[in-house]
Amino acid sequence: MWKYIPFAFKNTLRNKRRTLLTIASVAVSILLLAVLIAVYHAFYFREGSPQEALRLVVRNRVSLAFALPEHYEQRIRQLCGVREVGSLSWFGGVYIDSRPEHFFPRFATDPEKIFLIYPEMKISAEQLKAFQSERTSAAIGKSLAQKHNLRLGQRIVLKGDIYPTDLELTIRAIFEGTQGSSDNVLYFHRKYLQEGLPQRRQGYVGTFGILADAPESVPRIAREVDDMFRNADRQTKTDSERAFQLSFVAMLGNVKLFLLSICSAVVFTILLVSTNTMAMSVRERIKEIGVLKTLGFTTGKVLAMIIAESVIVAMIGGVVGCSLAYLVGMGLGGRVPMMSSGLLIPSVVPTISLAVAFVIGVVSSVFPAFHASHVPITDALRHVG
Amino acid sequence: MDNHTVIETIDLRKEYKRDEFHVIALQKANLLIQQSEFVALMGPSGSGKSTLLYLIAAIDRPSQGRVRVLGQDLQELSDKAIAQWRNENIGFVFQTFNLIPVLTARENVELPLLLTGLSKKQRIEHAQTALKLVGLEDRMSHYPRQLSGGQEQRVAIARAIVTDPALILADEPTGDLDAHSAHEILTILARLNKEQNKTVVMVTHDPHAARFAGKIRYLEKGELLPEGSSPPI
Ligand SMILES: Nc1ncnc2c1ncn2[C@@H]1O[C@H](COP(=O)(O)OP(=O)(O)OP(=O)(O)O)[C@@H](O)[C@H]1O
Ligand SMILES: [Mg+2]
Repeated sequence: MWKYIPFAFKNTLRNKRRTLLTIASVAVSILLLAVLIAVYHAFYFREGSPQEALRLVVRNRVSLAFALPEHYEQRIRQLCGVREVGSLSWFGGVYIDSRPEHFFPRFATDPEKIFLIYPEMKISAEQLKAFQSERTSAAIGKSLAQKHNLRLGQRIVLKGDIYPTDLELTIRAIFEGTQGSSDNVLYFHRKYLQEGLPQRRQGYVGTFGILADAPESVPRIAREVDDMFRNADRQTKTDSERAFQLSFVAMLGNVKLFLLSICSAVVFTILLVSTNTMAMSVRERIKEIGVLKTLGFTTGKVLAMIIAESVIVAMIGGVVGCSLAYLVGMGLGGRVPMMSSGLLIPSVVPTISLAVAFVIGVVSSVFPAFHASHVPITDALRHVG
Repeated sequence: MDNHTVIETIDLRKEYKRDEFHVIALQKANLLIQQSEFVALMGPSGSGKSTLLYLIAAIDRPSQGRVRVLGQDLQELSDKAIAQWRNENIGFVFQTFNLIPVLTARENVELPLLLTGLSKKQRIEHAQTALKLVGLEDRMSHYPRQLSGGQEQRVAIARAIVTDPALILADEPTGDLDAHSAHEILTILARLNKEQNKTVVMVTHDPHAARFAGKIRYLEKGELLPEGSSPPI
C-alpha cells in the first residue's frame, strides 16, 4: 500500500495554491481547536500538584459572601486525618487604583499555617520568619513581585472595600508558587485585619483550608466537617480544593457547553470547506481516473488514493495548526489573568489535533472520492474537465 | 478457436440507453484476430470503433454477444479481476496521450507496475527499458508539459508496454499529432508488432496510418463490415 503514497502526495502538488489554502484553513481551525482544548483543560483537567489532592476548602453553605466563625478551626482540627487547618479570608480591596492590571488576590491568613497548608509554595526560612514575626508584614508570590516590580521591604497600601479598613503592609517575603495562579497572590496577617474592624465583625473568617494526611481521607473529612456543623447556625460546605476552584468557573456560566459548541462549529465548518475543495479537485480529474482504471487500478485503489491524498493535506494542516498552538500558548504568557506562565498546551492536544485532522481528511474526501472512483471508465475517459 | 487467436468476438452488440435516447453503437460484430497481427479499424465518426476497442479491452461490457481475448472469456471475470487482467494483458494508447501531469515520464511509465509485485528498483528498471524502447532515455525526468506531443505519445506507448502485454490497443494514436510525429509513432507500433510479436489493434481515420497495418477492418453505423470489404464512402 505504501508504494501508492508518493503518487498520492504528488497529486497534492497539482494545484499548489489550493493545497496551501486547504492546509492553512485546516491549520487555523486545528489551532483554534487546540487553544480551546487547552482552555478547557486549564479549567477542568489541570493536573494539580500532589498537595492539591490533599486539600479541602470549607466555606459557608449559603455562599462565599458569608463568613464562618473562627472557632470552627479548633473543632475541624480534631477530626481524624486533618494534618493542618488554617483560615483564608478574601480581602478584595484596591491597590493603587481599580484598573484590572492592579488586581490580584489578597488573603488575610494565619502566617504560622499558610505555608504548612501550601507546602508547594517555596519560601526561605529567614523570610518566613520575618513574615511571621511582624504584624503588618506581607508575603507575595514571585510573579506578582515581578509584575508590579515589588521588592522586599517595600510598603504598600491596600484600600478596603469588603472590609471597612485600609491596610499598610510591608513586604517581608517573596515565595515561589508551583503554578501561575498560586504565585500571583498576597498574604497578610489576619490579626492585623481584625484590629481594624468594628467589634461585631471580628471573629469571622472567609474560608478554612485543610491539608489532609492522605487523598483517601479527603471525601471523608469533607463529609465529617459538614456533618459536624449541620445544626450550627452557620452551616458549612466542604469541597476538595479542585471542586472549589471549579465552582468559580461555574459562575462564568456553562463554559463547558460553550467551548464544546465552538469546537464543533469550527470542526464542522472546516469539514464543509474541505469537502468542497476536495470535490472540486476530484472533479477536474475524472478523466485521469478513467486512465488509471484503464491501466488496471481498481475502483477501491482509486478511492483509497484520493482519500490518502486528502488525509496527507489535512494532516499537514493538523501538524502546522498544532505547532502554532504551542507558539500561541507561549505567547500568551503573562498577558492573560490566571495564565501568567502561558497557556499550557496539554499533552493530549497533538493526539487530538492529528486525530481530528485525520477525520477531516477522510470525511471530506470520502464522498467525492466515492463518486469519482465509481464513474464508469468509458464515461470518465469522455469527461472534459 | 486455436491457440493463436488473440481476439474473438461473437455477435457483439453494444447499446446505449438513457432516458429517451437509444443508440446502437455496435452490432453483429464478429471479429477474429490472430497473434502478431496488426489490424487497423477504420470508419466514419460514430461508427463504433472506440466502442469495439473498449469492449476488447474490457473497459466496457457488451449488451450482448461474447468477447474472448487471449483465451479469456471476459464476461466470466469480475470487475476487480478484469482490472488486474487488463493490467497484465492490455496496453492501451489514447488519442490524447492522457499522461498524469504531476508525474515525470519515468513515473508515468512506472504507474502500471505499481499494481505488480515488483520492487521499486525493478519498477524503475522496467520503466527505463520501456522508455529506451521508444527512444526517450534522455527524457526520463521530464514532466508531460515539458514534452512535445510526439514525445508524450511515446511515453504513453512506453506506459502501455511496460507490463509486457500481449495485446496493444490504440485509439487514434496519431489523431493529435503532426505528420512527422505520427510517422514516428506508427513506426514504433509496427516495430513492436514485428520485433516483439505484439498483436496491435489500432483505430485510425488516416489512410496513411492504416498502411502500417497488415489488415484493415471497416465499421459503418455500428456494423463491422466483412473482411475484405471495400471502404464505405
Ligand atoms: N457513453 C455513451 N453514451 C451514449 N452514447 C454513446 C456512448 N459512447 C458512445 N456512444 C455512441 O455510440 C456511437 C459509437 O461511438 P464510438 O465512440 O464508438 O464512435 P467512433 O467510431 O469511435 O467515433 P469517433 O471516430 O468519432 O471516435 C456514437 O453514436 C456515440 O454517440
Ligand atoms: Mg472513437
